[in-house]
Amino acid sequence: MKRASLAFALSFACASASAQFDIGRILDSAKKITEVAKNTSDATREIDQEEEIQIGDGLAMGLLGAVQLYPNDNLQRYVNRVGKWVAMHGERPDLPWTFGVMDSEIVNAFALPGGTIFVSYGLVKRLNNESELAGVLAHEVAHVVKKHQLAAIQSSASSGALGAVGQELLSQKLGRTSVGKVGLQNEVAAMGTNLVKDGFFLRPLDRSLEYEADRTGVVIATRAGYDPYGLVSVLQMMQGLKEEEAGLSIVFKTHPQPSDRITELEKSMVPLERYAAQPQVEARFKQSVPQPK
Amino acid sequence: MKTLIRIALATACLNAATSASAQDAAFTNRATELKDKAAFEALVIIPLPADTPVKVLARSSGWTRVEVNGKTGWVRVFHLRFPATVEAGSSSSSGGFLGGLTSSMGFGGKPKQDGTKLATVGIRGLSEEDMKNASPNPEALRKMQSYRIDKASAERFAKDGKLVTASVEYTDDSSAPAAPSRSKR
Repeated sequence: MKRASLAFALSFACASASAQFDIGRILDSAKKITEVAKNTSDATREIDQEEEIQIGDGLAMGLLGAVQLYPNDNLQRYVNRVGKWVAMHGERPDLPWTFGVMDSEIVNAFALPGGTIFVSYGLVKRLNNESELAGVLAHEVAHVVKKHQLAAIQSSASSGALGAVGQELLSQKLGRTSVGKVGLQNEVAAMGTNLVKDGFFLRPLDRSLEYEADRTGVVIATRAGYDPYGLVSVLQMMQGLKEEEAGLSIVFKTHPQPSDRITELEKSMVPLERYAAQPQVEARFKQSVPQPK
Repeated sequence: MKTLIRIALATACLNAATSASAQDAAFTNRATELKDKAAFEALVIIPLPADTPVKVLARSSGWTRVEVNGKTGWVRVFHLRFPATVEAGSSSSSGGFLGGLTSSMGFGGKPKQDGTKLATVGIRGLSEEDMKNASPNPEALRKMQSYRIDKASAERFAKDGKLVTASVEYTDDSSAPAAPSRSKR
């Protein structure tokens, strides 16, 4: 019964979304799914790490249906090296950290539950050195460490949908189900894609969570041995882009203004001044990032 | 005012070959000082009132090298604000298809020539429209996951970059006394 209801709700959401973007109907679907989850009495239980990774994979598959990876293997590997090293200095070093550069001119980065992180080429190409890239990635790593997106998924209407999928995954004990692993992946992918359509990446987190990710991220980047001021430099660059990019970049819809973030960082970074001599690593960055100049 | 910024930017672009970093034009966001070195204890060259326009030459961690009225020195990074670098007429996207949003600018042309950080306006990929039309792409995810790096490789990479792990505590509050200790280098 539960599976049938979920399948019905899923197909309903898919149909309405593909025919025409209709947030009301999708949310309605999500509510129905939430009801299903509630009926099984388990809707608010904690999502375990394996489910968290599945949810992230589903969202990543959906996002990758909207944007391609930047076609440069060297750049992709380079960003993974920086990101992995940074992530090893957070509280969840053993997640399967995966970093991808999106072939997009927007200026933005996304973190998904489970440790999958996207950064746009439009952002990477505007950076000056590795400490700035580390600052960006550390902000996203901090979101994952603190499970900000996962919490948002669990607490919003559409996230009821993901919670239900997580529940499906748990109840079926991956790999020992009649649906099979491929079937489950398809289901998660469909749900992730619906969340993408539903505007998951357009919805802001609470401002305080962004400030927390900034504050936490600069510490993580500093632990990784980088100049602590990399993120500040990036935010100043974004400050300079504001007017031009304002209507175009999702980052300005989903994050506090760069000026406000810099002001908050100024308060919290005083103890990091003693690490100011740590390297920015410029040469390797310039070699690894194709510059459109 | 925009015209002034434009002129200032253009002028700065000609001279600032040392650094294509950050934007070239900035303003002090409070009364501060131009110092002769990138350090709190450095000598003050001149005091700078709030809203003084400066030309950014280079960055060094928590300090920014600037030129003000022919004098060159260092200003604390947090004491600067960067005005929006408006127009995009001088730049174009680095090529390729332009999806979603459009504007009257030309797209898909040559890479920008001016060496400034005037950003591109072309939006390629990942507009809201793109997201609404998304369909799952598991192959791309597998490709992305093929770039994953293991810990040993990351450690070698860090060593090559002379990155050394530091022991740093979180600071939840700016007023909290921090006592981070550094690991052996």
